[in-house]
Amino acid sequence: MIYEVRVASREDRDTKGDDLLAEIKRTLGVSSIKKIRTAKVYRLEGIARNHLKKFTEKVLWEPIDQKVSFGNSILKGADKIVEVAYRPGVMNPEAGSLLKAASDLGIKLSAADSSWQYAIFGKISKENLQKIIDRLLVNKTVETVIEKSPKTLLISGTSGPVITIPMRTMSGEELIGLSRDRLFLNLEEMKVIQNYFKKAGRDPFDCEVEILAQTWSEHCVHKTFKASLTIDGKQKEPLIKRIKSTLKNNPKIVVSAFVDNSGVIDFYDGFAISGKGETHNSPSAIEPYGGAMTGSGGVFRDILGTGQGAKVIASSDIFCFAPYDMPTKLIPPGCLPPDYLLRKVVAGVRDYGNRVGIPTNNGSVHFHNDFRAKPTVAVGSFGIIPKKQAKKGIVQKGDLIVTIGGRTGRDGIHGATFSSAEMTAKTTNVSGSAVQIGNAIEEKRIIDAVLALRAKGLIRAITDCGAGGYSSAVGEMGSKLGARVFLEKIPLKYTGLAPWEIFLSESQERMVLAISPQNIKRTLAICKLYNTEATVFGRFDGKKRLMVTYGKILVCSLDMEFLHHGLPQRKMVGTTVKNPIRQKLPPKNIDMEKVWIKIMSHGNVCSKEPIIRMYDHTVQGTSVLQPLAGTDLNAPNDGAIIRPLLKKPYGLVITHGLNPALNIIDPYKGSVWAILEAVSNYVAVGGQLKNAALIDNFIWPFPDEESLAALDQAVDACVDSAKILGMPFISGKDSLSSTYRYPNGKVLKIPPVLLISVFGRIPDVAKTASSDFKKLGSTIVLVGKPDLKNLGGTAYFDITKSTQNSVSSPDPKTSANILSSITSAIKTGDALSVHDISEGGLAAALAEMCIGGGCGALVDLAKISKERPDFTLFNETPATFLVEVESPLAAKKLFANIPHFIIGQTVKTPNIVVTQGSKIVGTVKVSRLKNAWQKPMKEIFHYEA
Amino acid sequence: MKPKACVLLADGINCDQELFYAFEKYGGAPQFVHVNELRSKSKKLKNYQILAIPGGFAYGDDVVSGKILATELVSFLKDQIKEFVQRKRLVVGICNGFQVLVRTGLLPFNHLGKMDATLAQNASGHFECRFVKIKIEDSRAVFLKPYVGQIIDIAVNHGEGRFFALDKELKKVENSKLVFCRYVDEKGKPAKHYPQNPNGALNAIAGITDPTGHILGLMPHPEKIVELTQHPNWRRGNVQAKGGFVFQGMIKFAKVS
Repeated sequence: MIYEVRVASREDRDTKGDDLLAEIKRTLGVSSIKKIRTAKVYRLEGIARNHLKKFTEKVLWEPIDQKVSFGNSILKGADKIVEVAYRPGVMNPEAGSLLKAASDLGIKLSAADSSWQYAIFGKISKENLQKIIDRLLVNKTVETVIEKSPKTLLISGTSGPVITIPMRTMSGEELIGLSRDRLFLNLEEMKVIQNYFKKAGRDPFDCEVEILAQTWSEHCVHKTFKASLTIDGKQKEPLIKRIKSTLKNNPKIVVSAFVDNSGVIDFYDGFAISGKGETHNSPSAIEPYGGAMTGSGGVFRDILGTGQGAKVIASSDIFCFAPYDMPTKLIPPGCLPPDYLLRKVVAGVRDYGNRVGIPTNNGSVHFHNDFRAKPTVAVGSFGIIPKKQAKKGIVQKGDLIVTIGGRTGRDGIHGATFSSAEMTAKTTNVSGSAVQIGNAIEEKRIIDAVLALRAKGLIRAITDCGAGGYSSAVGEMGSKLGARVFLEKIPLKYTGLAPWEIFLSESQERMVLAISPQNIKRTLAICKLYNTEATVFGRFDGKKRLMVTYGKILVCSLDMEFLHHGLPQRKMVGTTVKNPIRQKLPPKNIDMEKVWIKIMSHGNVCSKEPIIRMYDHTVQGTSVLQPLAGTDLNAPNDGAIIRPLLKKPYGLVITHGLNPALNIIDPYKGSVWAILEAVSNYVAVGGQLKNAALIDNFIWPFPDEESLAALDQAVDACVDSAKILGMPFISGKDSLSSTYRYPNGKVLKIPPVLLISVFGRIPDVAKTASSDFKKLGSTIVLVGKPDLKNLGGTAYFDITKSTQNSVSSPDPKTSANILSSITSAIKTGDALSVHDISEGGLAAALAEMCIGGGCGALVDLAKISKERPDFTLFNETPATFLVEVESPLAAKKLFANIPHFIIGQTVKTPNIVVTQGSKIVGTVKVSRLKNAWQKPMKEIFHYEA
Repeated sequence: MKPKACVLLADGINCDQELFYAFEKYGGAPQFVHVNELRSKSKKLKNYQILAIPGGFAYGDDVVSGKILATELVSFLKDQIKEFVQRKRLVVGICNGFQVLVRTGLLPFNHLGKMDATLAQNASGHFECRFVKIKIEDSRAVFLKPYVGQIIDIAVNHGEGRFFALDKELKKVENSKLVFCRYVDEKGKPAKHYPQNPNGALNAIAGITDPTGHILGLMPHPEKIVELTQHPNWRRGNVQAKGGFVFQGMIKFAKVS
């Protein structure tokens, strides 16, 4: 029997209801609703009636400001009531806490669930109600409207059988049929598998085929990056080989690269720091809240699964969406509206990162029309670890295989293979099970436990259980020695999983550890202290096979050599296709003020403060360059600096750069832009490139000939630029499925994204800079060489609907010198403030510095150029900076051999006055710019400040 | 001897490292103690002079913030806590720790097991991470006397921090001088509006003590502003890191008592 308890606020306020109402007005334009009130619904199963009251009073209900009901009628007088719950089988993290509280109170409770009721007051048509449900309340992938109360909350079932697949006799067509929508392997790969089993003299079990599909999936094995390439008729080295060649650019700093779950570089005092960038685009496209959560969870575990377990100390989040105001009719079938995605992705990052206690202190949001089918959701994570434990652990024969953390369920099955596929209108239906809701506290528990185990030296090797689940984790750890796995030992969320599902499930918040038998008792005891479930489920047995059983049933017996090296190298062909772009420049007589205001509210330029403030960026107490600073604490900084060891002055600097709009025009130069932008941000806060490393994330359309050629160029750009900058790439990831296929077969390529992250060390956090102007009457210098000819892809060209087939591309060699001059100016303390010029150009950078300083500025563009003032103000040349110094003399000294322009000074009156020689180009109030700049995100997030 | 502070750990507590550092910096001897160690009695509360409950999301803040941990403490550690409080040892809860103390009933009136006030969802409806100003007031917390009148820049990081009590209890809190800090505006007056009052707290209440003056709870994070570089505007000059008052005050007091 299930009891239902409903709890609602007694006060005449309900922020959750108000927020929904505001969202209904904003997105649907429905204004007939007067108010919305919400109630929490708890369902409790297997609790004695006399315990129900006690449990409610002690746990569920607080009479000070809440009312309670045991019936259905807590929200009275509503015109409509809608209740939304997680679907059965989707794990509700709150259920575990309810069970714990009951157990602490000595109350028996077999199952629990919670959900929300929304009471709508005011007239609402059936059609509009359905719109509210579909668009704002329910994500059908994981949620459902409760029409009538469930009979039971317990999920059970009988395990499916092990199925033998008669693969040996299959024709090519049948092999393709088997692969489609499930395995995502091509015919050649299917044939290799077929041959293996022909030789073995038997047909494969379902689990074996699934393991091979997972291990050989693009997501896990990066076939394209390892492929032998012919680009425009020329033989070229595999992409990954080229990227790895950058390690020689600065080998001294590298501790571990491209072998572990994250890249590791040297820090100070016997410590090392690590960094990783991940994307979670496919799940976020169909369930943005859960997708973003599990994206964060996965990348935190990548850090935790580095060496013998690194501590996660920072995170960054970078998103690309279609413009937030895109009309609904332009959104492809099966896809979600961009403002909904943005709000939900932000909520997912917030609820996960904040709960785990990882400061999210770096990020950005970009908009482009062609992200309408699939967003880019990238998460970065950074960690610290004693250097002697920073290298990937080596498993020894006889080591036990231990799983810790969450239990295994049917959730997340086929995540690895699904992520490798293009998206279609039916993706949501087919792949719903690939998405799940994260449980941040489970993650925090495993982090606590792993750090305690590592401190005691108990971990031999560790990896996270991400894409591919145990299959991937155990398969990789045991690739040299072989592994013997007992599936029946694995703790399950509910019964009914087939053996292959247990092995392939991607249930979140699990880690796999290799523990020497002599350490197992202490390991289990420490896990218990931290309430982390730990189970031995196999051993690395030295037999060089992956042998898996479920009770007495054989499920898998594969040769490790074949599993990891049997995949044939792909041979791929790329052909450069030049997209003809007609040049259309903006008119010369623009209204400069009007354009400037528009630039400030462009999605790529506007203030992201409402997002930043929902992320905890000061947890751990380490943040020493916060995302926002200045007189009103709302001017953005170019990067994040944290002090991971509170007692020491050392800093970890984190920045990033990307510009998808440019990659469409020119993949090489667009990629150079991304790298220069990332390193410009890095030096703008005081970082030194010789103490830093690069991380790449390629989020690319499916590599057909054209996209492969573009990818090839982007990789060349990375390698060439890294060489000139003297920096190594130490970690990277590719996701080559940014393609959407309309029901009619038409293909939409999502803009190729190259996200470059930079992280590194600085000896003293006191020698760093923020972007806000510090003084009145100080000198403003433009450092660098603005490209006044090539403005293709800029925010300015976007808002004026202009086009150009070339993007800004400064000479990398000169840029390197410019970058190091910025580093020295900050180190000596001569640079009072520094801001990197990026989207929105000099105009946006100057405005942000004035907003931060609470002041104005006088600027003469003639010092830079006497040509078009709009091009001077709005070009987005990377490796150009605005720097505030005491005097013109100081500027001349600091930047003696570096291209620089002394353009003006800071003033008290909060206006920006722009002249070109004797001609006034424009005068604009800083407050007007600020309002325009803050407006878009304030509206989307209903932010009142 | 350095006073020993028990820095309590539980699933989802996540501001423990910086709290540990703050106690150490001001001359305390902090130790991490997991709630399971108190439950199993492998560690005992009575061996400490200070009990500190850090910020975080204990058990995910499921149901409401701090509820599950409060239930656990009242269910299993009632006697240990009662004894600790009766001996006039010091207790501090910061952010999530404050939510836990209010939900155990220890704050505001030292009624273990009965709630007299609450920390409700922020009036803004969302989690907020920003620096605000608080002012230290004259209160029952005698060891904070030296700091009365100070205005302090301090971090808030919470979604449920709106201090709320019914009229009678609110009056009692005010009349008994239990409020030791409030959110203030630029002029140092209690802040009525967002964002200076980041959560819509009644009477701009940011932190309270109990009638004995030995139990403290506050939503802002003093432990996150004990070094100048933790201030978002330290590069502008004219700012100070003054979050140490809580730790300095408690440790000095614990040393002499």
